[in-house]
Amino acid sequence: MKVTQSAKEKTKLKILNAAVDLITIKGFDNASLREIAKEAGVSNPTIYNYFPTKQKLLYAYIEQKHKEAIEAISKIEGFDNFSFREQLQSLIETELELYLEDREFVAQISDMVFSNSGLKINMLYETNKEFTEVVKEMLEVAVEAGEFELIPFSEHLPLLLWDYYIMVVAYWLKDESENFENTTEFIDHSLALVESILRSDIIGKASNLGSFLFKTHILSSLNKFASTKSHFDGIKKRLTKVFGDE
Amino acid sequence: MNKIPTSKIGRGAVVGKAAVKIGLKKSKRAIFGGDKKQNNEEIADIVFEALSRLKGVSVKIAQHIALGMPFLPDEIVEKISKSFNQITPINRALIRKVIKTELGSYPEEIFEEFELEPFAAASLGQVHRAKYKGKEYAIKVQYPGIGKSIKSDMAMLKGVLKLFAKGDRIEHVVKEVEDRLVEELDYTKEAKNCQYFQEINRNPNIVIPTVNSEISSQKVLATEFLSGVGLDNYMKTEPTQESINFYADTILQNYYNTLHSSNHTIHADPNPGNFIFLDNGKLAIIDFGCVKSVSKEFLKYYSKLHQMLFKQDSDDKIIELYKSLKMIQEPTKEKALEYYKEVIKPLDRVYIEPFLEDIYNFKDSNFAKKGYDIIQEVQKKQFTTIGNTNEDILFLDRSILGYYGMFEKMGATIDSKAIKEIIIDFNRSDVCI
Repeated sequence: MKVTQSAKEKTKLKILNAAVDLITIKGFDNASLREIAKEAGVSNPTIYNYFPTKQKLLYAYIEQKHKEAIEAISKIEGFDNFSFREQLQSLIETELELYLEDREFVAQISDMVFSNSGLKINMLYETNKEFTEVVKEMLEVAVEAGEFELIPFSEHLPLLLWDYYIMVVAYWLKDESENFENTTEFIDHSLALVESILRSDIIGKASNLGSFLFKTHILSSLNKFASTKSHFDGIKKRLTKVFGDE
Repeated sequence: MNKIPTSKIGRGAVVGKAAVKIGLKKSKRAIFGGDKKQNNEEIADIVFEALSRLKGVSVKIAQHIALGMPFLPDEIVEKISKSFNQITPINRALIRKVIKTELGSYPEEIFEEFELEPFAAASLGQVHRAKYKGKEYAIKVQYPGIGKSIKSDMAMLKGVLKLFAKGDRIEHVVKEVEDRLVEELDYTKEAKNCQYFQEINRNPNIVIPTVNSEISSQKVLATEFLSGVGLDNYMKTEPTQESINFYADTILQNYYNTLHSSNHTIHADPNPGNFIFLDNGKLAIIDFGCVKSVSKEFLKYYSKLHQMLFKQDSDDKIIELYKSLKMIQEPTKEKALEYYKEVIKPLDRVYIEPFLEDIYNFKDSNFAKKGYDIIQEVQKKQFTTIGNTNEDILFLDRSILGYYGMFEKMGATIDSKAIKEIIIDFNRSDVCI
């Protein structure tokens, strides 16, 4: 892991690492900020200064991994020549690679998000800036390079892809195949689909004629989910924003 | 790139769709009559469409099917052949991921150089050029998850092919092909095969590439990079007849030499893509994922049989040998003779024609066409026991036919005498069965 020069960053990382270790062992609810401070070798006031709540620790962790992944992929030789799909695939695979040693910790976050705990998926949106910004950039470059045409609603695409990414992480956490081969395959196939949709201009065509069908279909099925599982609310809300309310 | 169907349901849907379409075509023909060839072409288009949707493992299956099922209409075999080189590409992101998973680090961390774009398709994957510790390598990388596809792909392809084939012969072939494919999934087996063939090779003109196990795994195989061209490009160089004959003899003699070597194992994939005509004039044999071993006992009978066929021994003697090989199981002597004359003898004539004289010229022999016609003819014969075949014989004969096809394409004249000597030597060295 590359540690940045500034002492502040160093302290932050020290606390994050301690938090991951402690929460993995004791569970999120049972690990207190005091204990985490002790584990990290910082004072109580210091830790509260960096992370007023335990939840902020989780957000910071996710943001940190986004940053590390982006840094890692930017170092890949010839990355600029990768297609949009290859770039996105590299980003997601690299994130999973980074999560690997903290897998139990990530599983805890996921369980909290997908069960009725205080942590809602909407709150995780606070952490997606790094991810969505780099995806937006990849998209812009791809459009500029003529890989595919600018599609309607493209401003919402990075966010939708972030939702997709969350889904991949959830899938990965449940994946019991050797070397998480199923996840690799899942990512490859689903991104092939994303790519072919982007290239086929299907969204452009759909938006002209059949968008209301698509919209009605998606929103109504999301409604069904939403009545039982609250974490779809956020996705629904944003989809509603994308397609507008009738 | 289009979406590759992943789930069993997805794949089923694709082939199912093709089967439905074929069903429609068939009934259309039944109702409206129509041109049979035209219909075959249309069906071939549909099969091809389904195959290219399945991609991945299907390419490999198609290869085997085309070799193993000469009874398929020409047009269909042609379409299937076209799908050979259309393997699902592993993109640059995925290649990095697979290398990291399999070898522990990203390619740029392991290799001095690693080309993320493949230079060739391979069995169940693709091949990349790389440099490791100063040496050039060809790195074969397997498509992740392809193993899971084999069973469902085979089951459904069987469904489609059943529309063409009579009897249960298809079950045998499909099973055999499936077994080979499952074996091919583990590249460490191929590495071992490579080593074996290297050890038994006595011909200085044949190169078997060396595997580097440091940078190999079950799904990654690193072999030394060999500089040369494939058959098509070799033919484009307008080689001399002497050169063509040299290569054909080298290939065929190697086949018979390996068959009669210690493990009785052959390279069972006579696909022209598995031979590289090297810049230094030698011949490289690659891709040892598909090998076939036979028992010594079987080989005794098989070689004896060939010796008798070459000598054109009496039908009675040959039938006895076929009975030992369980190729003929007719209850009465008359039935056995009839079956032999109607089914086996015409097929044998195809296989042994090149061995009747001391040399055989494949050029303008129209060999494949003649063989195909005879097989078509035999197919029409109604024999209840047509399903009773010896799988080992089928496999060996299929390989030999594959080589014949290649030699015809090359326009080679082969040294038949040399092959006969290999067989006779073997029989002489170990006479008691």
